[in-house]
Amino acid sequence: MFIADIKKDFYEVVANQRVALLVAADIDGLCACKILQALFHCDQIQYTLVPVTGWQDLSTAFLEHKEQIKLLIKEDDDLGVPTYDDIFRDEDEEEEGEGSGNESDEGSEPSGKRRRFDEGAIERRIERQRAKRQWEARRREILFDYEQYEYHGTSAAMMFFELAWVLTKDTKDMLWWSIIGLTDQWVHDKIPHMKYVSDIATVQRHVSRHNHRNEDEENSLSIDCMRISFEYDLRLALYHHWSLYESICNSYYTACSFKLWTLKGQKKLQEFLADMGLPLRQVKQKFKSMDVTIKENLRDVIEESSNKYGMKDIRIQTFGVHFGFKNSFLASDMVHAAAALLESTERDENDPTDNFIKALDSLSRSNLDRLLSGIDLAKKKLIAIQQTVASCICTNIILSQGPFLYCYLMEGTPDVKLFSKPLALTLLCKYLLKAFVQSTRNKRCKLLPLIMAAPKDMEKGTVIVVGIPPESETSDKKNFFGRAFEKAAESTSSRTLHDHFDTSIIELKSEDRSKFLDALITLLS
Amino acid sequence: MDPSEVEFLAEKEFVKIIPNFSLDKIYLIGGDLGPFNPGLSVDVPVWLALNLKQRQKCRILPPEWMDVEKLEEMRELERKEDAFTPAPSPYYMELTKLLLNHASDNIPKADEIRTLVKDIWDTRVAKLRLSADSFIRQQEAHAQLDNLTLMEINTIREFLLDSLNCMYKLRSNLQPGATKGQFGDY
Repeated sequence: MFIADIKKDFYEVVANQRVALLVAADIDGLCACKILQALFHCDQIQYTLVPVTGWQDLSTAFLEHKEQIKLLIKEDDDLGVPTYDDIFRDEDEEEEGEGSGNESDEGSEPSGKRRRFDEGAIERRIERQRAKRQWEARRREILFDYEQYEYHGTSAAMMFFELAWVLTKDTKDMLWWSIIGLTDQWVHDKIPHMKYVSDIATVQRHVSRHNHRNEDEENSLSIDCMRISFEYDLRLALYHHWSLYESICNSYYTACSFKLWTLKGQKKLQEFLADMGLPLRQVKQKFKSMDVTIKENLRDVIEESSNKYGMKDIRIQTFGVHFGFKNSFLASDMVHAAAALLESTERDENDPTDNFIKALDSLSRSNLDRLLSGIDLAKKKLIAIQQTVASCICTNIILSQGPFLYCYLMEGTPDVKLFSKPLALTLLCKYLLKAFVQSTRNKRCKLLPLIMAAPKDMEKGTVIVVGIPPESETSDKKNFFGRAFEKAAESTSSRTLHDHFDTSIIELKSEDRSKFLDALITLLS
Repeated sequence: MDPSEVEFLAEKEFVKIIPNFSLDKIYLIGGDLGPFNPGLSVDVPVWLALNLKQRQKCRILPPEWMDVEKLEEMRELERKEDAFTPAPSPYYMELTKLLLNHASDNIPKADEIRTLVKDIWDTRVAKLRLSADSFIRQQEAHAQLDNLTLMEINTIREFLLDSLNCMYKLRSNLQPGATKGQFGDY
């Protein structure tokens, strides 16, 4: 459903009814859900929350609630929707009006002028037909583009924050959730850098508005109130909650730039630390217990040194939150923590709804212990990713298949269970591609996309396959693997499940793996 | 009495809010409220103020006594005097907790106010303990304490009454000729 005015067409329609909220399992959806929940609580709207993991789940949930549903709210990222007018147009009326006008003209005028009118009418008709053909051609092109590539639009959480702002019910909590939604898109590489920067600028306006609301010399806020601040902080994952050394080793930006899977890379890291004058003992300590004198200028010092080592973008614009005396988190920390909770494989039950609720809870301020457990899980996940990347590169299991690179994780790889989940596998894919591009000498391979497969379900014998576009500075993150996977599956009649909302992630039977790959190679070359 | 019951009674106190919606006068069993006009302050009971605040429909104004200088004066006065001075409000402890938990962004210098109110409470409860102690020691028959709030009375009620009961039982067993060997319900 296309909506022009979100307040009138959406919120007021929904306000007096019972709502079913179907939420996709990614962090942006979770944040948007939190914002909507807060809005519903304000206005005492009853709602039912249903987490869905794919199209099948969506249809089952829909069928279950079918009797009561009039309007569905599904939250996940926009997938690049073109404008309304380009696709639909009511032109039947126009045609009829013209037609009847012509007849009356023909009837009333004398025969001398009739021919001219006829010609005029014919010309107009030809014009119209040409315009219509052009319009149809453009429509086909737009729809083809829409369905061929898959990419993400504005974060859903940000859109719901705009709704809250229009209703003047926006709070700092909602602003923080929309920031987390935006950062999730950046961490999981769903939007290009330019879009991220412009969205940050939009959010920054809201942040300064909230901060000026009641910050005064005399009336300073209680320390318990949430303070959001703009930070131009380092691109080191979770470094405030870890030690600096561990964070540098396990963040993909630094690990790939230094090539930490090689011995030379390790030496370079030591040089880097020595260059900044940071003693190893300090750097390996928990960040919060590091010497204050070192922490003061840390960001500038690191930026200077990293410029020398070829890491130009070590700093990134982001936001941080402070509440209470001890708690300060960056937006990316929360994204990693929530993603780790959402896809945790710790317990045996593995109920996805359970994980969903846990991840949802961790986003509230009052559930700090849940958030901290999420941060621990995220640390383990990052370490696992780094080790897997190192072993993949060192054992050369990434093969160039012609039009793309391919990698398969064997069953015996440590932590392979972690990579049966889509978000974790996508992160691994991204890091692996970057590491590969850094370590290979083959110029052609640097421009290839990567497809990765990992075992998903032992009993059913399926693997999960993910495809990501090639690594480039100015990529617009458009992913064509969705259609490619579908066509390859059709042509080889492999048993696949295109269930995930992200069409570039599918499930495939392990036996059909090789013929599926062959079909893909022929398709894409 | 449970402290939560005392808090419930405290919620009947009135506090000023500034709503952002408009509503005609409403007629409730406890009294009339309103009318509500956006931007104009109106007196409502605390339970309604908190509910509206949580639904982001109003802004709460701190009560008059919730001011740093006034509370500092009261604290000094309390420390000087031996007897109890009049409390800022008959429900000062509960109101402070409720308002500072839910509406601390509307109350200036919330942290200092919390510290000051806690100081006043500590001083008063210390005086109460002293006075209870001397009451028992001197075995008085009755005592009178002015200016106590319900929350403070509730804190000491159970302990004081139970201990007086025990003392009575002990004393009555010490008397010669009293019912022999009756130890009561230990």
